[in-house]
This record gives sequence, structure tokens and C-alpha cells, in this order.
Amino acid sequence: MAEHTVASFDEDLRQISRLITDMGDLAGSMVGGSTRALLESDNALAQRVVSDDAIMDARQRELDDRAITLIAKRQPMADDLRHVVGSIRMAGDLERIGDLAKNIAKRVGSVGVSTAPRDLTHSIDSMAQLVLIQVQGVIQEYTVGDAAALAKLRNDDERIDVKYTSVFRELLTYMMEDPRNITACTHLLFCAKNLERIGDHVTNIAENAYYVLTGTQLPANRPKQDETAMSAPAA
Amino acid sequence: MKPMLSTDLNVADTTVEKAKIEIKNLNFYYGQSKALKDINLSLPERSVTAFIGPSGCGKSTLLRVLNRIYELYPKQSAEGQVLLDGKNILDRSQDLNLLRTKIGMVFQKPTPFPMSIYENIAFGVRLYEKISKAEMDSRVESALKRAALWNEVKDKLNASGQSLSGGQQQRLCIARTVAVKPEVILLDEPASALDPLSTAKIEELIDELQADYTIVIVTHNMQQAARVSRQTAFMYLGELVEFDRTEKIFTSPREKRTQDYITGRFG
Repeated sequence: MAEHTVASFDEDLRQISRLITDMGDLAGSMVGGSTRALLESDNALAQRVVSDDAIMDARQRELDDRAITLIAKRQPMADDLRHVVGSIRMAGDLERIGDLAKNIAKRVGSVGVSTAPRDLTHSIDSMAQLVLIQVQGVIQEYTVGDAAALAKLRNDDERIDVKYTSVFRELLTYMMEDPRNITACTHLLFCAKNLERIGDHVTNIAENAYYVLTGTQLPANRPKQDETAMSAPAA
Repeated sequence: MKPMLSTDLNVADTTVEKAKIEIKNLNFYYGQSKALKDINLSLPERSVTAFIGPSGCGKSTLLRVLNRIYELYPKQSAEGQVLLDGKNILDRSQDLNLLRTKIGMVFQKPTPFPMSIYENIAFGVRLYEKISKAEMDSRVESALKRAALWNEVKDKLNASGQSLSGGQQQRLCIARTVAVKPEVILLDEPASALDPLSTAKIEELIDELQADYTIVIVTHNMQQAARVSRQTAFMYLGELVEFDRTEKIFTSPREKRTQDYITGRFG
């Protein structure tokens, strides 16, 4: 893309892009850290994720300030306008991802790994891996400007939903098998729900990023690839 | 006031609306130099169309073709067709005075005549119509009301038109144009010499006038084009690069040249 006649306009836009990348990296590190802390009962790591959330919030406020100032000063048009407005919205989703990762981290002390069935943590682990790939992928594809990859990534959220449904069923089974599992499983249930919600925010980011890059919206309803999600128990 | 940008993003494409003016295969020459290259454009009735583009792109030239004002100057010529309600106004048989009553024009710099506010408006009307004093009074009042100037000047209609502020003078020129009951109003940078408040009044006025008139505006101010127009034409080096709904042009234009221009990457 050609440079603007006013060079400082380019610098303003670059700073906004940099903040989105920073927030995306931080979101990935928080999601990865919180699930690792959960699976390994690592309280110190959990604490770090909780404190990272303050950094995430500060980044979002900085991005909001810069975006509002840029709109006031430059009155951006076309792709610039989509870039600035899209960044505000993506930052909102990244901030929410940070909140959800923090929620997972805050439960680490309560779950108590010794009481959680080993099989169950495997399921959570594989769900967390799916989510982490999505979080890291969405920022990566946006940065390189690959709209087709973003459309695919948005549809891939279906796999997280399917995984969530199966984790949910497993948790019910463990709780029915042995009531002593109920406390740990309830906490893990919330963690799984948080991971599923993180996937939804990634979907929002992919949709916004696609619009920023192409100027067109993805269809409102994404194709359902797996019918099992339709029969998900009410959560 | 209507929203600055229409929210009805799914309105029918501009091409399906009734065209007031249809420009077909239009070329324009300043002497040997070709200033407009094969322009094809359809301007919908009772709607605001903006022409944007860098200096020298041909947007003012195109505007000047629409009422044949270019004929005031030697060595300027147009070929092709400009159909007003289906009739070619470039035809030699076209009565120029009649054409200019139908297609009025307001210029960048306010051009009040050196006469009273009342006479500024009555003068043009008298050229085309013979009406009684009472009818003329009523015509002047209604034109000034349409131009949102009545309340400011109703107690000093005999004062000189040139005693008004720049913004008031421009609205007086719009009143003068409206008084002869045109069908189309051409605005060439109507607010570029005005302060922000006067500009806002002109924009508000354009918004109201489009209910009754087909309006074409040339402007260097892209935010203004985005605010006041329903469709926008982007021109570059004498060519029509892109013509679409204004929302589309300013949020996701199809052509890279349009995008580069409106985002400030050249021009």
C-alpha cells in the first residue's frame, strides 16, 4: 500500500497496528499460561496471568485513545477508516479474551489437580490447544493480510464448539461416577466454558479483520460443519 | 436533518432510479487539449451527486458542460450527448437561456449583483417572467426562505446584497438560483470560501433542496462530499474512474485510484 502524503498519518496507523499485534501476542500468552497453570496447578503462573490482564486493559485504553484522536485529526476514509474502526472492535474482543484467561487463572487454586481425574485434564488440554491455535492464528493472518485464511479460521471455531460439547459430557460423567469430583469438575466446567467463549471472540476478530481487509462482510451465519454441535446440552 | 451518511445501505443501485441527466460518450476540449475523455454517467433525479478528484481532473469542466457555460469562452468544445429528461442539451437547437433557467449554477466565490437583496432575486426572475409586484414579493420571500436566509434579511431587503457576510451572500446566490424555478442546481465549490458555520448552513440547505431539485456539487472537501451526496463520481485526468453510492465510495471503493485519492495517498 502506498504511503500517505502526510507521513505522520502512516505512523499513527502503524502505532494502532502495533498495539493490535501486542494485544494479540499478550492474549495468546495469557490463554496458554492460564491453561498450563490450570493443568499443572502452577499458582505462580496463574498469578502472572492475572497481573497481565492489567497490561491488556491498559493497551486497550491506549488503542482507544489513539484511534479516537486519529479519527478527530485525520478523518480517515475507506481502508484507513475500516482499519481504525476495525482495530477498536478487535481490541475490545482481545480485552475480553484477556478477561476470560484471567478467570481461568483465578480458578487454579480452587480446582486442586490431585482431585481432578487425569483423563479429564487431557480433554481440557486438547481443547485449550485448539483455542490457542485460533488466538495466535487470527492475529497472524490479519498481520499478513490473508482474508481467505481468516474466513477459514472463523469456520474452524466449530471444532472448539464440538470439543466443548464432548468435555461437557465427560464432566457430567465424572461427577455422576463420584460425587467427590463435583467441586473440581464444576470449576473445570467454567474453565471449559471460558475457553469456548474465547473461541467466539476469536471468531469476532476474524470477521472484523476480514472486513478491514476486504471491505465486505462475511455471511451472517457461518456454515455448520458438524451436526453434533446442534445437540449440545444447554450450558 | 437527515443522517450525514445514509444508513440504508441496501438501497437500490443508483442506476435503477430515474435519471434526470444522462451523459453519454462525452469528450471535451480546451483547444487541442482533451479535458474529458468518454464520460458516461447517469445523474438520478432529486438527489445530490458529488464530483470529486484532484485539481485538473475535469470535475469543474464536467459541471460547466451541464449548462453549457463553457460556451462563453472561445476554443472550448464538447462532443457526445448530455440528455436532460431525454433531450440532448448539446444540440445546436437548444435555447441557451431556457437551458439556464432549468439548470442553475452557484460558484465558489459568492457573486451577488451590486444591487439590493430584493433586486438580486427579482432581477433574474424578470428576465424570464412578467409578474405583478405582489407576485414578485411573494417569489422573493419564498426564494429567501428556501435558501434559509429570510429570517436574517427580511427587515433589510433594500440593503445591498454585497453588505451581507460571505455565507449570507452565498445563500443569496442560491436563493437567486432557486427563484427562477430551475430543475437542476450546479454547485461549484459552494462552501470552500466559507467559515465552518456558514458551511454547515449551506450543507443543511443542500439537504433540504434535494427534495425538489437534482443537485450536482463539485467539492475538494471529501468529508463534505460524504456528508451531502447520495452518489459520488471520482474523476482523474479527465476520466471517470468510479461512480457509486457515496457510502460505498468512502468505505470500500472498488478502484485503487479512488482509494488512494480519498485516503490521501496522492493528489
